[in-house]
Amino acid sequence: MIAVHSENCTGCMRCVLICSYTYTKKFSISTPRIKIKEYRAEFTEDCNECGKCVEQCFYGALEMVK
Amino acid sequence: MSFAGKILRVDLTNRKINKYDADLAKDYIGGFGLCAKLACDLIKSEVTPLSPLNPLIIGAGALVGTNAPATSRIYAFTKLPANGAIGWGGGGGATFACNLKFAGYDAVIIEGKADKPVFIRIEDDDIDIRDAEDIWGSGINETCEKIWEECGEGGILAVGQAGENLVRFSMMYIDRLSTVGRGGIGAVMGSKNLKALFVRGSGSVEVKDRKRFDKAVKELLERMKSYPYLKEWQELGLLKSLPAIPRDVYLKLRKRRIACVSCPIGDKDVLELDGGEIYTTSAVNLMTPAVMGMNYKDAMRLTAKLDDYGMDMFEFLGILNFAKELSEKGKLELDSEIDFTSLDSMLFWAKKIASREGTGDLLANGFAEMERKFGVKPKSVVKGMRAYTTPKGPLIWNLFGTMELGQILDPRGPHVAAGGSPTYFAKRPPESFRKHLARMGIPDEKIGEILSSGIKIGKLLCHSHIWFTILASLGICARAQINRFYSADICAELYSAATGIEMSKNQLLDKAREIWRMLKLANFRAGFTREDDLPPEDWFDDGFRDYVTGEPLTKEDVERMMDEYYREMGLEEFMRR
Ligand code: SF4
Ligand code: SF4
Repeated sequence: MIAVHSENCTGCMRCVLICSYTYTKKFSISTPRIKIKEYRAEFTEDCNECGKCVEQCFYGALEMVK
Repeated sequence: MSFAGKILRVDLTNRKINKYDADLAKDYIGGFGLCAKLACDLIKSEVTPLSPLNPLIIGAGALVGTNAPATSRIYAFTKLPANGAIGWGGGGGATFACNLKFAGYDAVIIEGKADKPVFIRIEDDDIDIRDAEDIWGSGINETCEKIWEECGEGGILAVGQAGENLVRFSMMYIDRLSTVGRGGIGAVMGSKNLKALFVRGSGSVEVKDRKRFDKAVKELLERMKSYPYLKEWQELGLLKSLPAIPRDVYLKLRKRRIACVSCPIGDKDVLELDGGEIYTTSAVNLMTPAVMGMNYKDAMRLTAKLDDYGMDMFEFLGILNFAKELSEKGKLELDSEIDFTSLDSMLFWAKKIASREGTGDLLANGFAEMERKFGVKPKSVVKGMRAYTTPKGPLIWNLFGTMELGQILDPRGPHVAAGGSPTYFAKRPPESFRKHLARMGIPDEKIGEILSSGIKIGKLLCHSHIWFTILASLGICARAQINRFYSADICAELYSAATGIEMSKNQLLDKAREIWRMLKLANFRAGFTREDDLPPEDWFDDGFRDYVTGEPLTKEDVERMMDEYYREMGLEEFMRR
C-alpha cells in the first residue's frame, strides 16, 4: 500500500510524470493513475501499486508500506 | 521526439489564430534558442515596445514536459519597455510550461492589440480569446483564482495592475508563483489589453530513445539523491547561501514548500502571515526590503503586495530612492514622504505607482524616462534598469564576478540569471572553479587561460552566457542547486536522446554561442553599442573590488574585461577601436 503524506507534497508532479511514462510510454499529466489534487496524491482504480511514483518522490510525500 | 511540434500565433487585433510547424526549434535547440530566433526575425527595429506591432514570444524548452529534473522553464521574448532592447524574461512555476507542450506548442507568438481586456484560453486545439473585463484591475492572486474557477486546472501566465497600467518595471507571473521579469515585460501584455494566458494540454511529450534518456535521467537523480546537502537545500533553498532571515523564524511561517514541475530540489514557498497566504518565488526576494531597514514581517507583507500588483521589487525600491534624491535636490515634489522603514509609506507608493496616481504616474515610467525629464543620472542604472548587486545595494555585494559584469553586458539589462557560474554570491578559491568550468563544457586549455593570474572574468562570462543558453534552451533551471548537477555532456546526451537529433557537446556549445551572439548583434543593429554597455561611474568610488585580490577596481579594469568578453564571444563590433 502507498501511504500519502500530503504535508510534504510540493506539487512537483514527478510521480505523475513517471506513472504516465511507465504505462503509456509518454509523459503526460492527464493519463496517469496518480493525480495531485491540492497537494494530495490520489490513486485511480488502475493503480497496481508498482511503486514507480514512490521512487520519484524526493520529498517524502509518498511511502510504500507493507 | 520531445518537441511539441507546433507554434501558435495569436493576432489579438484581428482575433486570428494560426498554427504552424515548429521546425525552427530543431535549428535553435528549442525554448530560449527558438524564441530568440523568432524574436530576432519578428521584432522590427522601428517598432516601439508598447506598440501593437511588438510581438510577445513565449516558449518552453526542448526537455519541458519530460521528467528530466527541473525542466519547467519558459522564456518570453519581446522588445522591453524599460530600454527598448530585444530582451527576455524567464520563469519556472507550476504547470504552465508543461501544459503548453502537452497542448501541442513549443511556443506562442502574441501580436496586435485587443480592443478590450481579454485573456487567451488554450486547450489543445481549442483556443479562444475571452473577455477579461471582470478581472482587469485585479491583482495576480485574484486573477489566477478567477481563471481557475472559470477554466479549471491548468497553467496561467498573468499580469497584475502594474502590467495593465504599463508600469515600466511590471512583470508577468506564472501560476502566481514565479516571476517573469525584468525590463517591464508585463507592460507588453498590458499594452495588448491581454490580462492572461491559460493553458491546459491533454496530450503528451515523447522521447525518441527511451533507454538512452532513462539512463541519463537515472544517473542525474541518483547523484541528486546522494547529494549531502539535499535536505538542507530542500528545506532552505536560497536561504542556505543568503541567510536573510533566521531559519527557525522562517520555518515557523512556512506552510508548504513548493517545487516547479519535475524539480527534486524545489525552493518556492507558501507562507502564512496575518491569517492569509503568501506565495513566493524565493524567501530571499521576500526579505529584500529588510535591507532598507524594514522589519522582516513588514518586508514580507510589502513584497507580497508588490507581487500581487505584478511589480519588480528591486526597481520599485530603486525608483523610490531616485525620487527621494530628486526631492531632496528640490527637483521633484512628492505626494507624501518616502520612508523605506515604514510599511504604510511603501504600500502608499506601491499603490500610487501600480495605478499611476499622482507622482506615481511619473515614477511608473521608469529610470530612463525620469533621467530624460530631470537631467539627473540615477545611480547604478544600466540600460534603464537598476543593477541588482552593487556595493551599496539593493543586494550588497562588492566582489566583481560574472554576475556583476553580466549586469552591464547582458543585452536586456542587469539581471542575475544569465551569469550562472561559480562566482555567484560567494567567494571561492579560483582552484575550486576548475570542476565547474569543465562541467560547463569549457575546454581544458581555456580553463587554464581563465584561471591564469586570478580569474579572467570577461572570458568566464562569455562561457557562462553560453552555458546559460544551453540550460535555457533545454528548459532546465539555472539556479545553483540544479545547475551543479548538469554538465554540457549530460545536456547533449539528454537532448540527443529526447529529440532524436544527434548533437555532440561541441555542437551544442557552438549553437548556444551562435544564439547568444545573434541576440547581442540584433541589439547592436537596433542601436545598442559599447556605450550602452559601459559601467555606471558610481561603481568606482568606494565600489566594486577585484574578485580574487579584493583590490579596488577601476573603470579601465572593467573595460578590459569587456573587451576580453567581446573577443571571446566573437563580438568585434563592440570592441574598443
Ligand atoms: S504505484 Fe505505479 S501505477 Fe500506481 S500511481 Fe504509482 S506509478 Fe502509477
Ligand atoms: S507526491 Fe511527491 S512526487 Fe508527487 S507531486 Fe507530491 S512531492 Fe511531487
